[in-house]
Amino acid sequence: MLSSARLLKLALPLIPTHGFTRAALAESVLALPASSQHTAPLSDTAVSALFGEGDDARRTLINAWLAEGISQMGKTPSSTSPLEQASPRPSVRDILHQRLRYNEQALQYLPEAFACLATPTSITSMMLTPLDPVPAVKHAVGIADEACCVSGDQSLQLSWYTRRAALAGIYTAAELHQLASPKTAHAFLDSLLASSSKLHASVEEIGLFGGYVMKSWQGIIRSSGIF
Amino acid sequence: MLSRKVLFSTRRLNTLHRPFSNASKTVASVVYTGSPNAHDPAVNSTPELTPEQHQILDTALRVDQAGEVAANWIYNGQLFVLGRDPKVGPLIQDMWDQEKKHLMVMDKLQVQHRIRPTVLSEVAKVAGFALGAATALMGKEAAMACTEAVETVIGEHYDDQLKEMEALPSTHPSIPLLRDVVKEFRDDELEHLDIAVENHSQRAPAHALLSTIVGAGCKVAIEVCKRI
Repeated sequence: MLSSARLLKLALPLIPTHGFTRAALAESVLALPASSQHTAPLSDTAVSALFGEGDDARRTLINAWLAEGISQMGKTPSSTSPLEQASPRPSVRDILHQRLRYNEQALQYLPEAFACLATPTSITSMMLTPLDPVPAVKHAVGIADEACCVSGDQSLQLSWYTRRAALAGIYTAAELHQLASPKTAHAFLDSLLASSSKLHASVEEIGLFGGYVMKSWQGIIRSSGIF
Repeated sequence: MLSRKVLFSTRRLNTLHRPFSNASKTVASVVYTGSPNAHDPAVNSTPELTPEQHQILDTALRVDQAGEVAANWIYNGQLFVLGRDPKVGPLIQDMWDQEKKHLMVMDKLQVQHRIRPTVLSEVAKVAGFALGAATALMGKEAAMACTEAVETVIGEHYDDQLKEMEALPSTHPSIPLLRDVVKEFRDDELEHLDIAVENHSQRAPAHALLSTIVGAGCKVAIEVCKRI
């Protein structure tokens, strides 16, 4: 059965050569197995019907590529089973490095792809905000959430939010750095993670101190004999 | 199925006549509180759900977790004031210990099913502590009336949730387990309700007014936590 989801999957390996283009989508049919082989790429009308008009088709492809990036997180390049089954869970650091490496294959097309995602689809929203930040935030938060989940992060309540916000910020900074200077991105990510854990440790110490202050006030109130 | 029903009704009957004990019961939540089994899919994985089904699971677990946080802090507040009372002190401590277990299980469920927790957990803590401490300051009976009102709403809420969870597929082992856990917690909360009534919650000053206010507050909190 030919479904757009299946063709999208086949179009992903074409991205390093064709970029996030309608041509990549059109040529995805050439990679189908022999039983349903096509000899010519899809027509422009067919691409529009399957994946959306104009730039919408490209957005579909970009989103599929980003979704594939998330599903690849925490998996070893050689096997498709998650690491957690064989060895201990991968660390957040390894997962984020792995995600940066996933970017490398399509790095030259990424600035344009992110620009495409950030362009509002309707004229009215373009008048209001020339750039739509929602896809970028969703992208970063999705990666942070997956990294937390794969690494077995157990943070609860407010720290659930702070942990994800910190990782999303770190990853976004590293990714932006990667677009400008691919070679130093991994070292930059490491330095960000190191300073983040230092900050986290100091915040925890402040929290602990605050807890002691609260406890001593409780003791003072109790011993004052009001209750 | 039938035997389970019989077991269930005898359990409810027992709780009406028994002050407080459930140490010997085999309960569903033991798979979460006991030694962790790393390979059990029921406690380690989340099912593939449609967006509507995920929405149900998402709101349900978020509210439950927020509710258990607030309940913990209500008992904390009550114990802060009534902790040295020889009669109700240990009683509140027992109920609090049970709520601690509930919260622990809910935390694990949240991580397991990848649920976003409520943003308002700090608000729930402060409000819970204030409610517990304020009612306890009004007297033992008022504290019990507060427990009665809260547990009535929470018991109903868990019961409604069980009906909503019928829409979730039973094919994944975590879903029947989740239903059993919610059933167990509902029974625990109703047991707290019985304890509150047995300890003269209805002798509290302005009992009807107090329970209306507390109950309405709980319902508003449930609706708010479903959303944010």
